[in-house]
Amino acid sequence: MNDARKTKRRSALAVLVIFAVVALFVVRLVDIQVVSAADLNEKSLSKRSVSQTTYGSRGNIIDTNGNVLADSVDRFDITASPLLVDTFDRKSEDGKSTVEVAVVDAINELAVATGATAADITTALTEKPGSNFAYVAKSVTLEQLTAVRALGIPWVYDVLHPSRTYPMGSVAGNLVGFIGTDGPQNGLEVTEDSCVGSSNGTSTYERGADGIRIPGSTVTTRQATDGGTLKLTIDSDFQWYAQQTLAQRSIELGADWGTIVVVRVSDGHLMAVADYPSVDPNNVDGVSSSDLGSRAFSSPFEPGSTMKSLTIASLLDAGTITPTTQVNVPGRRDLGNGQSIKDSWAHGDIRYTATGILTNSSNIGTSFLTDSLSNKETRRDYMTKFGMNSLTAVGFQGESSGLVRPTSQWDAVTNYAVQFGQGMTATSAQMASAYQALGNGGVHMPLTLVEGCTMPDGTVTDLPSTEGTRVVSEAAADTTVAMMENVVTQGSLKNTLTVPGYNVAAKTGTAEVADANGYGSDRIISIAGLVPAEAPEYAIVVTFAKPDTMKTSGAVATTFKKITTQVIKTFKIAPSTVPATTYPLNF
Amino acid sequence: MSNLAFATPLRSPVEEFPARHIEIVSSREQRRARPRVFYAVVVVIGLFVLFMAQLLLSIVVSDGAYRIAALQNSQRDLGREQQALSEQLDLLSSPQNLATQAESLGMVLSNTSPVFLRLADGAILGSATAADAGESVITGSAGSLVPNSLLAGVPLVTATPDVDPAIAADAAAAAAAAGAAAGTPVAGAPTAPPTADSVASNPTTLPSPVTR
Repeated sequence: MNDARKTKRRSALAVLVIFAVVALFVVRLVDIQVVSAADLNEKSLSKRSVSQTTYGSRGNIIDTNGNVLADSVDRFDITASPLLVDTFDRKSEDGKSTVEVAVVDAINELAVATGATAADITTALTEKPGSNFAYVAKSVTLEQLTAVRALGIPWVYDVLHPSRTYPMGSVAGNLVGFIGTDGPQNGLEVTEDSCVGSSNGTSTYERGADGIRIPGSTVTTRQATDGGTLKLTIDSDFQWYAQQTLAQRSIELGADWGTIVVVRVSDGHLMAVADYPSVDPNNVDGVSSSDLGSRAFSSPFEPGSTMKSLTIASLLDAGTITPTTQVNVPGRRDLGNGQSIKDSWAHGDIRYTATGILTNSSNIGTSFLTDSLSNKETRRDYMTKFGMNSLTAVGFQGESSGLVRPTSQWDAVTNYAVQFGQGMTATSAQMASAYQALGNGGVHMPLTLVEGCTMPDGTVTDLPSTEGTRVVSEAAADTTVAMMENVVTQGSLKNTLTVPGYNVAAKTGTAEVADANGYGSDRIISIAGLVPAEAPEYAIVVTFAKPDTMKTSGAVATTFKKITTQVIKTFKIAPSTVPATTYPLNF
Repeated sequence: MSNLAFATPLRSPVEEFPARHIEIVSSREQRRARPRVFYAVVVVIGLFVLFMAQLLLSIVVSDGAYRIAALQNSQRDLGREQQALSEQLDLLSSPQNLATQAESLGMVLSNTSPVFLRLADGAILGSATAADAGESVITGSAGSLVPNSLLAGVPLVTATPDVDPAIAADAAAAAAAAGAAAGTPVAGAPTAPPTADSVASNPTTLPSPVTR
């Protein structure tokens, strides 16, 4: 009887204890699984999961032949954990014995591998000894990274640092622009960022104890997108030649700056836009900040006599002159109010034809020809249709539209001066664009620098407009070009401008530069022309600003001829088969 | 003589007949329909196989994870290497570099107009003019005026590699000694190939390959 009761009590106790334990477990289980589940899950995930940035690749910028002007490359930042900096054991080459490597030796090895100085690395590592992060070297190449990894230093790490490189240096550097630490800084890198720009993505994955990604655990929170490929109309080889020739001559002449613009007349595509001085995007600090862009687009100047071709074309189109219109040109034209027009050389009365006026670049003669079309608005309309006073279709960063004042602001002299390129301004790009219209039978095509943007999915955007506008009649344009041939065959620069076997049309310009005290001794000299003259294919404008040693357009002739010859070679223009058109200069 | 015939049978004190165990005997059909041990065994083994398969599969998958990680790493490294090489190729093919290298070899960029051969009738268009040896774009003037800071470390193709003069002298002496020791070459035996490059690097003359 006693025994039985004892047994009963004992089993009751056991049951109670079991219940208590189970209850305890249940409470804990509910706590873990329900109450603090979210918190714990997060903690565990943060131990297992790794968040990473996936980098989208910024699009390349290429020239018309596919040569790379701007390229996205991988660079690496070498980092270290100062907290863990210590001597370490390195396996010797046979893999059997180990060698202890002192911190100083490791730093010296790092300096050799990364190109940083040992002193800098030491400073970086000792500045904040308790920190877990310090930069050893930034933006090292793969080669250097491989050297660093080969050192096997346990407290040194590397991080991907996508970067930008410009394999051709300053070839088209004035156009392409560059990338700074905060993104695109200049040129097409900025204005075409919508094409080449990329965005970085983020993704997380879980990893095991040994750091290996657990299959199927990758979650992409944001997809990285690559940029498109921007194709320019520029021919990089020709652009290089233009830049080299321009720089060489600018230095010889002591010019402040110079530009060469070459346009294909059939579609307004820019083959070269050379600037001197211009930036090497790999070394932006190498030039002053005013030389970072393209003066061909941003610097308007009074073009001078190169405007006379446009005046002639306008008057021919209006039907008020012919190439042989006869003008008796005196040595000076008085306009009253003490104002007068002079030529660049002293002369008595000369009997010039219109061609003679253009060939000898007579301002007085041009003013008399202008009288045949007295309506100022009509003449100004011709200028604006040639692209003056408005931005080119390129819309380059910091582009200037030049200035042709409203006719209400034209005084007696300005009325004539604008017709020979003083009292109005234009950029080299605008001048080249206007000559494109002359060469294209009077049809002005939108000036084009970007051939298109190919997105990674194959869609092509940014296609240039192919819609031209007629400025002057085909006959007027062709006759103007024929008259310009006489500048090369009969003008004072015929010996330096003639290209054997080819008919070239050209017009010189020696413009006075206005400063605070009016027109001074500085000049902007230029030659604008077309080749081949009988069926123009390319328009060429060469400009030097404020040369010191030679201040007439003759200084441009050798460069213009070199560029013309190079255009002929690069773009394979066959020799002219017809003789150059000749008009009488005098009567 | 006892009257056995009338003897009343002795009663056992407690006559406890065990209750007779009666059970329903299943019919053959029922017996056939009933699950057998065999099936149980099959199920258990099946489950075991499934668990084993799952285990093996997960082993294979996680083993694949290591391979994937290794292959992804090598793909990344090879991609980077390819990129680094094409980056270098782009740099070396930049016009500044090509022009500088070509002019260092004595080539000139002619400033004369080209001559065309028209395939249709074999006519020659233009007059051929020889390029002037002095017509250089880079050398002779201020050098390359289209800077590219990346080209700083690129040597000219005509540049002789830096050799310690002492070592070079030793090597030359050793070569001379070896030549003397060899004595006159045996007739018919191939002459020793020249130690210099097959393309002579003389800045004043155009190099030409030596063919044998």
